[in-house]
Amino acid sequence: MPKCIIDGREVEFTPGQNLVEVAKKVGIQIPFFCYHPGLTVVAQCRMCAVEIEKMPKLQTACSTPAADGMVVKTRSEKVIQAQKATMEFLLINHPLDCPVCDKAGECDLQDFSFKYGDAYSRYTEEKRTYLDLDMGPVIKKNMNRCIHCTRCIRFGTEVAGIHEMVAVRRGNSTEITTVDGRPLETDYAGNYADLCPTGSLTLKDFRFKKRVWFLKRTSTICEGCARGCNMTIHQDNNVIYRCTPRENMEVNKYWLCDEGRFNFRYVNEESRVTVPMARGEVDWDAALAAARNALSGKKVAVLVGSDLTQEEAQLLLQFVPRHLGEAPLYHFGTPGIRSPQDDMPADRILKRKSKTANLHGLEKLGLKGFEALPSGTQAVLLVRGGRARLPELKGVVTVGVGVFRADEAQGFAAVLPGASFAEKDGTIVNFEGREQHLRRAINPPGQSKLLSEILMVWANSKGGTHV
Amino acid sequence: MAEIQTEQNETLFIQHFREESRPLGYYLREMAGYTALKKAFGMSSDEIIGEMKKSNLRGRGGAGFPTGMKWGFIPKQSAKPKYLVCNADESEPGTFKDRDIMRYTPHVLIEGMVIGGFAIGAHSGYIYIRGEYVREAKLLNDAIDEAYAKGYLGKNILGSGFDFDLTVHRGAGAYICGEETALLNSLEGKRGEPRVKPPFPAISGAFAGPTIVNNVETLAAVPFIINKGGDWFAKLGRLEKSGGTRLIGVSGHVKKPGLYELPSGGITLRQLIYDHCGGVLGDKKLKAVIPGGSSAPVLTADEIDVVYDIDPMMKIGSMLGSAAVMVVSEEMCVVRLLIRITKFYAHESCGQCTPCREGTRWMEDVLERIEHGSGREQDLNLLLDIADNINGKTLCALGDAAAGPVMSFVKKFRADFEAHIRSGKCPNA
Ligand SMILES: Cc1cc2nc3c(=O)[nH]c(=O)nc-3n(C[C@H](O)[C@H](O)[C@H](O)COP(=O)(O)O)c2cc1C
Ligand code: SF4
Ligand code: SF4
Ligand code: SF4
Ligand code: FES
Repeated sequence: MPKCIIDGREVEFTPGQNLVEVAKKVGIQIPFFCYHPGLTVVAQCRMCAVEIEKMPKLQTACSTPAADGMVVKTRSEKVIQAQKATMEFLLINHPLDCPVCDKAGECDLQDFSFKYGDAYSRYTEEKRTYLDLDMGPVIKKNMNRCIHCTRCIRFGTEVAGIHEMVAVRRGNSTEITTVDGRPLETDYAGNYADLCPTGSLTLKDFRFKKRVWFLKRTSTICEGCARGCNMTIHQDNNVIYRCTPRENMEVNKYWLCDEGRFNFRYVNEESRVTVPMARGEVDWDAALAAARNALSGKKVAVLVGSDLTQEEAQLLLQFVPRHLGEAPLYHFGTPGIRSPQDDMPADRILKRKSKTANLHGLEKLGLKGFEALPSGTQAVLLVRGGRARLPELKGVVTVGVGVFRADEAQGFAAVLPGASFAEKDGTIVNFEGREQHLRRAINPPGQSKLLSEILMVWANSKGGTHV
Repeated sequence: MAEIQTEQNETLFIQHFREESRPLGYYLREMAGYTALKKAFGMSSDEIIGEMKKSNLRGRGGAGFPTGMKWGFIPKQSAKPKYLVCNADESEPGTFKDRDIMRYTPHVLIEGMVIGGFAIGAHSGYIYIRGEYVREAKLLNDAIDEAYAKGYLGKNILGSGFDFDLTVHRGAGAYICGEETALLNSLEGKRGEPRVKPPFPAISGAFAGPTIVNNVETLAAVPFIINKGGDWFAKLGRLEKSGGTRLIGVSGHVKKPGLYELPSGGITLRQLIYDHCGGVLGDKKLKAVIPGGSSAPVLTADEIDVVYDIDPMMKIGSMLGSAAVMVVSEEMCVVRLLIRITKFYAHESCGQCTPCREGTRWMEDVLERIEHGSGREQDLNLLLDIADNINGKTLCALGDAAAGPVMSFVKKFRADFEAHIRSGKCPNA
């Protein structure tokens, strides 16, 4: 492997890697704004300037591939001066309103200003200001905080496949905006907020709900479709505030779609059933009794949401024959998507047609997709993680286990409230057969329980088995 | 400078800069029109590029890069089509040489481009002309039509089997589109912003194909080089490594402003101003010379004994640039002059990169303050600092173009700036 020397340390690199990435390998941080590993390199912000031996001018590390024997200095006097200068330039027109900016605490501009800038500015002229722009429901724009890094523009054209963010006018008056000031159209808009290195683009859904330093993070997987994008849940005090993408080059790179990003909302929703029900709120014993009662002596079918984990499905595969006799099991999740063959790409970016995360896993366990109830079926046990679309069931008694909204559970004989994807650990299998792990970020709300607990009390409680 | 001769200089262009010269008939009759092209078709690509190298022709667009060497960078084989682009954006303040070539001798440019296309293996050429050159764009198109009609453009040119199409593309009024990669973006219909280099256009240029971008005057020299040989052209110049003649545009406070054609490195600035241009207007004292378009660092009256060519100018910390000389007499306020220049570059900055977008406007604001009586003592060092923080640190050379004048004016005429700050106005006003 070729080697270069960065700040006196020998570093091996793969040909083609740029100096930002190569330096990162040995823990040397080269600050950058416009560079983003998932976007083309434009070398516009000039923050990543480094000194390279035998080159008279500073070079931008983001646009310079490492070369064998190259000697690079990231902390020379010239570099430090250039970093200070760039920070000063970036801040002369910045409002410096960090106390009321939602990005504070996770803002590259703020962090690099602290680390590489001067505490004091020589700018005494009037600051440039822009009018704000409504960019639709997802993103809030505050152009005064923009540093013109153009990441958003490149994300739109290169990743989302839509040229909706643009630069208009030029020079000092350049404004980063949407085409004709129209609202954003992409259904990947949340990424704009993630990749904006300042508080210029923020999530409407999240802003001012929580200062980011109060948030606790849990690495998990999105349950929004069969891709299984890697993401992080941010919660405080058992309330989820947002989800952000987690880099995984093989699954989702750096991105999430909006549907997946905002999917968590149902977890905190008021209308979610979090107490046992049997035509009204009851205690667990009464609900279990009602559930057993409803199924007892009837021809039963079990519908398993493909939003359940492998572990949950395996428990059901053991539980059903023992407690519900011959009842057949089917999986359900997305209307029209019954088998892995149906699960095609839903767009050219990430989304899959299966709107549940574990279709492919359940198929591996031998479950087949639900089409219609076997004739003569009198009762259905419906087990769901929270996201699977309920099939239309007529003329049968229904018992629900898992996550339901009150309106969905209206006619159910009993509801045993369960845990959503954010409240449990478990394995899911994505469309490529990749096993990934959900991690519990918060506790199940109210009296909800994990499926394993529900099935255990069912099995052990008075009344014993069904048969 | 005893050897420098200014008599019996051979000129290529200027004697033809008359309305009568424009038609194809004149070009064929008086300028051996399209004979170089015939000759070139009998040469190999390497032979043509070899002559270009021998000629010591250096780019007339501003950077002075050796043209033959540049052509040599074009890969012989390429999966993508190659392009030859003529930079006719001519927007550097003070510059008006390419205009006359296009206006009076358009065929010499066309012929140069066909030869260039043949040498590098390009079948499409573009002339990117500044939007304000409405008349020149039309004249060029007329000449191109003539050339197509006579088989100097199009398919199987002069029976050679070589095809070459030429299109005039008008700019929309941005100085930055004279920078070659911004030009290419604009040509492709994108926002006129410079691209990161590398890759250089020779590897990935117009529509990502290998591309040569040359100035009008550069390409117009090609037929002469092919006809009379690289060695002959090299000898027109008076310095090593700088062949041919130069079109020099002189403006400002001189008695005879206008376009001059002189051997490369054939005169000093002093000779240009006093011998050729008749001296300073009204016989005033010379205050300053902006020697290579408004981006060239300014020279004081004591610095004009320099030989006016690429290398000597660089050596004294300025540049030949587009060979546009602006002469400034003692009556001109240098503070106002610098504001005007700085405003221009701030206005023309594309806004892509931080130091230029933020710094050019900041310098403009500080200068405006000084001009309007609220300058502060520390402003001059601040200006020098801002300029230093831009210089050499931007994505394209427009940053340097904005920084160079500020640094040179403030350093060389510091007393004038201080007087403004002290008295709160222009002391001469
Ligand atoms: C800001 C800027 C403006 C420029 N404008 C022009 C121009 O108007 N005409 C031109 O020929 N070159 C211009 N150039 C130089 C071109 O980038 C390029 O170097 C030139 O066209 C190459 O041609 P040459 O090798 O024949 O000189 C400009 C460069 C910069 C940085
Ligand atoms: S809005 Fe944000 S991402 Fe877009 S250019 Fe401005 S700072 Fe960069
Ligand atoms: S593409 Fe699928 S897995 Fe990825 S964020 Fe969207 S819904 Fe979630
Ligand atoms: S130096 Fe100025 S003109 Fe050139 S790329 Fe940067 S902002 Fe644009
Ligand atoms: S990160 Fe390299 S120039 Fe912006």
